[in-house]
Amino acid sequence: MNRRTFIYNAALGTLNLGLIYGHRGVPIRQPDSALKSLKIDVQAPETELSRLGMPGLFPGRVVEAHHPGSLVDGRVSPSAMQAMVDAGMKALTGDGNARDAWARLFGATDVVALKVNPSGVPGTVTSIPLVREVVRSLTSVGVPTKNIIVYDRNSNQLEVNGYHALVPPGVRVVGLDQRWSVRGESRPGYDPLVFCEMDCFGERETRSYLASIVVREATKIINLPCLKEHNASGVTGCLKNLAYGSFNNVARTHAGTKTYTDPVIAVMCTSSPLRSKSVLHIMDGIRAVYHSGPFAWNPDFVWDAKTLLFGTDPVAMDRIELEIVEQKRREVGVPSLWDRNPAYLGTNAEMQRTAFKNQFYREPGHIKTAAALGLGKWELSDIDHRKLQL
Amino acid sequence: MFQDSTDWITLLGANDRRGGTAASASRSPGELIWKQALTDGIRSSPVLHEGVVFVTCRDGCLYAFDSRTGKERWHVQTAAASDSTPSISGPLVLFGNDAGVLYAVERSSGAIRWQLEAGGSIWTSPIVRNGVVFFGSTDGVFRAVDLAGGKIRWTHETDGQICSTAYAAERLVYFGSSDGNIYALDPMSGKSSWRFRAGDSVVASPAVIDGLVLAGSEDYWFYALDAASGAVRWKFETGLGIYSSPAVAGGRVYFGGKDGYVYALALADGKEIWKSRSFRTLTAPPVAGDSVVCIQTFYGGTQAFEAATGKELWRANLGGSLQSTPILADDAVYLATYPGVVYALR
Repeated sequence: MNRRTFIYNAALGTLNLGLIYGHRGVPIRQPDSALKSLKIDVQAPETELSRLGMPGLFPGRVVEAHHPGSLVDGRVSPSAMQAMVDAGMKALTGDGNARDAWARLFGATDVVALKVNPSGVPGTVTSIPLVREVVRSLTSVGVPTKNIIVYDRNSNQLEVNGYHALVPPGVRVVGLDQRWSVRGESRPGYDPLVFCEMDCFGERETRSYLASIVVREATKIINLPCLKEHNASGVTGCLKNLAYGSFNNVARTHAGTKTYTDPVIAVMCTSSPLRSKSVLHIMDGIRAVYHSGPFAWNPDFVWDAKTLLFGTDPVAMDRIELEIVEQKRREVGVPSLWDRNPAYLGTNAEMQRTAFKNQFYREPGHIKTAAALGLGKWELSDIDHRKLQL
Repeated sequence: MFQDSTDWITLLGANDRRGGTAASASRSPGELIWKQALTDGIRSSPVLHEGVVFVTCRDGCLYAFDSRTGKERWHVQTAAASDSTPSISGPLVLFGNDAGVLYAVERSSGAIRWQLEAGGSIWTSPIVRNGVVFFGSTDGVFRAVDLAGGKIRWTHETDGQICSTAYAAERLVYFGSSDGNIYALDPMSGKSSWRFRAGDSVVASPAVIDGLVLAGSEDYWFYALDAASGAVRWKFETGLGIYSSPAVAGGRVYFGGKDGYVYALALADGKEIWKSRSFRTLTAPPVAGDSVVCIQTFYGGTQAFEAATGKELWRANLGGSLQSTPILADDAVYLATYPGVVYALR
């Protein structure tokens, strides 16, 4: 096991990185003297970074595929989904056919974990047609269905969405809050030896443990987040879906109107198994959310974006997602995700009613922090944003 | 002294899925008779027979509780979580587990009479008719097994997971599959009589009444099919997929939608009689009688609606449910919740 310490200085807006990165101060966001310094210890297996790991084979490249027929009478179209996934993967890799594109990343011996986002029940979750299409693509390159695992932190959200019953036979669906079995051996959802330790707001349990699927069983992870605003981190997207859906005990990073999602999300994504194994990200923006995410219980804040984003660089993808959500918020005339006017703070109930209220000062700076930690490209000038119209 | 004489031997009370409710269900339960907190969550529905409540749990056990006191009579431990609603047939209780094992245990003691390995998790409730046990599993295989000894009579393969509990009628046995089909098989041979292709998976368990097979689909439609031919007699569109199995009573069919509504349709023609807003999304089956419709929700506990109008009569915030249905007995309401608590209320 390797142990690294990150010191986040809120007053200076810097993240000092111990051991691996030395003690360089990286300016990452506006200072906020109301937040104290945060020390984060990460204990994880010492492994060499895979060349497929974040930012992966195509740093800075983001493919945005739009299909006007992806929603038909409110239903996600399976045929449109297949066309979007095939075209998106070809555009991402430059390959002439979709099978070759998938074969660059996955092979018959892989055990592939699909990290879905089930938290927007019932409408704004990783859609079943997308999951089915990814499963179909993996099996086309020889990955057996028994080697495919759909996972998230919350069993109940997975079950309410019906992933267990609706994916093809053989695919396992695992909620990390319950024990699961591998070849007859029962395992806990989290690995007790791999964790991030920090004290955000004086909470009793200061460790967040990483999913045992990520540590022990999966050889590759496909991240399937949703294109959504998030009331604490600004957007959900790739980085948050991966970090806060693979580690437990993460809600403790928000309290009152404050959140440590920046830098915690970024730091969690640097843990070696998560970083090395996450080789592909496909963001579901068929239905997108510009306010009151991640749950988005008020349908007024959901729009039919009919879009999927593809990439191996989660930072670049989240940056593009941020721009898309910001653009939508400008269109409907509501405050920017970066706005820090206290007049816009409100209760959860107010947040559900109006896009002029939010529970937290949002901190989308975690995306830039992740760039500073080497996970991908933040500057728009460094991002190769390719748009596909199907 | 509280004494319950109701029999509720399988999913939605009996093989005909009508549920049936006592008059007491129309008023809000106001008293806790007993509760049992189990060591893991509960996805399945409890059943009741001769004063004993049977319930499976994700801790891998089937429990038998005295319906008057809640005192445990026995439990039987299996090697994997159980999400299968138990089913009672004579002296046996049948249930499956996530390791794909079907168990037949003595109703009086929990002693295992026989067990059978299927190829996938058994989330369905085994249904018994004419000495044959019918059940599907997540490997896509539907099986018919001798009740007496657990010997397989026949199997029928589908291309999807089977999470839909079968309806066994005299001439045909019906179930849905995540491959999008509703199947009608000969109960003697397992040969297909007909199958109906919906637009997406059929997870709900069908009900059969008046020559109609009733089930919803993930394609947002609720279907009424001719039980003999599979032809569509009528269909009804909702706002999202349908996971909730229907209950039928008083010429109406009731079900919940993922769109968060409880629907009441006319059995004859599928016309909407009422729909009532519940909590965010519904996946569990309702229980219906002449005066009241009752449903457990994941986000809002248990709700009861007036059967004629859809007006909410009461709600009990006792912990959510994904697939569990309450037992509405003569003198009590029995609930099992996702957090793993079994309640007896009146």
